[in-house]
Amino acid sequence: MPLIDMPEFSGELLDEFAARKTMRVNTPVIQPAAPFLDMAGEDLRRRIFLTESETGESLCLRPEFTIPVCLRHIETATGTPKRYAYLGEVFRQRRKGGNEFYQAGIEDLGDSDVAAADARAIGDAFGILNRLLPGQTLSARLGDQKVFEAVIAALGLPLGWQKRLVQAFGDTAQLDALLESLVSPKPMTGLDARVAGLLATGEEKVLVDYIDSVMQETGYSTNASRAPQEIARRLREKLALAATRLPDDSFQLLKQFLSLQAPLSEASKTLSDFAEKAKLKLGAALADFDARVAALANGGVDLGSVTYGAAFGRPLDYYTGLVFEITQEGQTAVLAGGGRFDRLMTLLGAKDTIPAVGFSLWLDRIEAARTSA
Amino acid sequence: MTITIALPSKGRMKDDSSAILERAGLKITAIGSDRSYRGRVEGRDDIEIAYLSASEIAREIGNGTVDFGVTGEDLVREDLSNVDTRVEFCARLGFGHADVVVAVPEIWLDVDSMADLGDVASEFRARHGRRLAIATKYWRLTQQFFSRQHGIQLYRIVESLGATEGAPAAGQADIIVDITSTGSTLKANHLKILTDGIILRSEACFVRARKAEHEGDAVVQEIVSRVKTALG
Repeated sequence: MPLIDMPEFSGELLDEFAARKTMRVNTPVIQPAAPFLDMAGEDLRRRIFLTESETGESLCLRPEFTIPVCLRHIETATGTPKRYAYLGEVFRQRRKGGNEFYQAGIEDLGDSDVAAADARAIGDAFGILNRLLPGQTLSARLGDQKVFEAVIAALGLPLGWQKRLVQAFGDTAQLDALLESLVSPKPMTGLDARVAGLLATGEEKVLVDYIDSVMQETGYSTNASRAPQEIARRLREKLALAATRLPDDSFQLLKQFLSLQAPLSEASKTLSDFAEKAKLKLGAALADFDARVAALANGGVDLGSVTYGAAFGRPLDYYTGLVFEITQEGQTAVLAGGGRFDRLMTLLGAKDTIPAVGFSLWLDRIEAARTSA
Repeated sequence: MTITIALPSKGRMKDDSSAILERAGLKITAIGSDRSYRGRVEGRDDIEIAYLSASEIAREIGNGTVDFGVTGEDLVREDLSNVDTRVEFCARLGFGHADVVVAVPEIWLDVDSMADLGDVASEFRARHGRRLAIATKYWRLTQQFFSRQHGIQLYRIVESLGATEGAPAAGQADIIVDITSTGSTLKANHLKILTDGIILRSEACFVRARKAEHEGDAVVQEIVSRVKTALG
C-alpha cells in the first residue's frame, strides 16, 4: 500500500500494531449499507455516503472499520481468539473536519477473559497514543453498562422498565425523561371497552384469539410481523407497569448513582460505598469492575488519569459493558474511543456469541495534537 | 431586480394561492395561454410568476432560484436541511392542511404512544431478526422525530413513493409515516395514529428564500407585508 497521503506517523502505528501481536486486515472501501444502518440506526444515513449497485443493493463508502472487520471475521470463519488491526480511510459527513479521513484501531475478538481483554484494549490505546504523542498528558473517561444494569436489577425494577432504562443508558436527556415518566406513570389509554374486558379476564387465550380474529378480518394476518401472542403479552406487561410507579427512594438512588464520578483508583470504593449505603447487592458486576481495575493497574495504566463516570455509556444495543474515550488532558477532542460489544457478532450473523472489545484511533485529531504540541 | 414567486402549477393549490395573491393586490395574469407555466402580476414589471410542481417549489426556494414560493410546510421541511437558516416562513395560508403522522396497525393494541413504539422497536430485532421497518417518503422528518426527539434509533426506513398506507398489510413495512388530512385512508387501511405521533401540522405557506440581496429590498418587503395584510 502506498504511504502517500497516509498520516506521516503511519509507520510507527504499524510497528505498534505488530508489536501488540495483532493481524493487520483490510476491507473493501465499498460496503453493503444495510449492516451499518441496522447496527447504528437510521440516523447514520445522514452521515454516510450512500450509493446503489446496478441491482439496487444499497452500498456505502466504509464509514468505520469495526463492522467490516467483524463481518470479514465471520465470513473467513478462522476461529477465535483473534486480534485484528486496521489502518485506512473512512468516509463520513462531518460538521467539523474533512469527509474522508484515516482511522486505525484494534478489534479483539473471542477472548473470554473479559477483564484482561478490556484492560488490554485500554492499555493498547494509551500505549499507542503515548508513542505518537510523546510527553503529552492524556486522560480517559470510562463507563460500564454492566454496573448500571446491576443497579437497576438490584432495585428490583420490573423487567419492562429495566429494558427501557438500559436502552436509554448513555443518552442523558432520554434517560432523565424516562426516569421522570416512571415516577409519574400515566394510566393506560387507547383501549376500547371490549379489549379492556378481555384483558380483565386474565385469560391469555381469549385475548390472543380475539387479536387473531381481528387480524383475519382485516386482511392483516398474512403479512403480520407481530403475532397475536406478542401483542397480547406486551399488552399485559404494559397494563402491569401502568399500575406501578417508580418508588421515590429508587428514583433518588438512581439519580445518585448516575451522578457518581471518581478517578479509577477510587472508583471501586466509591461503588461499593454506594452499594452498601443503598443496601444493594451488585455482586458480580462490582467484582468484574474490580477485576478490570486490577488488570489495568497490572498493565501499567495510570489509574489516576482515568475517570469513571457512572452515566457514561452508548445508547446502542450492541454495546454491553466497558466504554472509554481518551483525550489530551483538558481537551474535548476524542483521540481514541472504544468499548465492549459482545452482542455485535451475533447481530451480524455469527452463530456463537463471541466476546469482543476494541477501539479506534482518530488519526486526523492525533495529527493535529502532534503539531499543536 | 425582478422578484420571482413560485406557485403550484395545478389544482386547488394553484387556485387558492392565486386568490390570496389577488387579495394582496397582486393579480396574476397568464402569459399566453392559461396553460402556460409563466405568469405576471398586473401592473408590476418587477414581479414574475413561475408555476412549478409543489415539491420542486421547496427545492427551488432552497436553491434560491426563486425568491418566494407557495408550498406545503411538510415539503419544505422534508426537502431542505437546516431549513430555518435557508428559508423564512412568512405566512401560513390557511389551506392545504395535512398532518405528517406516525401510524401503526390498529391491532397493535399495546402500542399507543412513541414510548410504546420505542419498546417494540428495541425488541424487534431479537424477535423478528430484522429492525422495525417504517414506510415513508419523509426520510428527514422521520429521522428527526424518531432519532432526535424520541431517542429511537433501531428502525429502518423503507422508501415508499405512493399508497404508503398499504405497506403494513402488504408486508413491505411494519408501520408508516405519512400525510393525512381527514384520517379516513388510514382508517380504511386499519391504521391508527399514535397519541403523540403527530410529527408536523402542515399547511400551505408563503415562503421566502433567505437571500442576501433581499436585505433592505423594498419590493421584497412590500410583497411580504401585502400577503400578511391580505390574510388579516
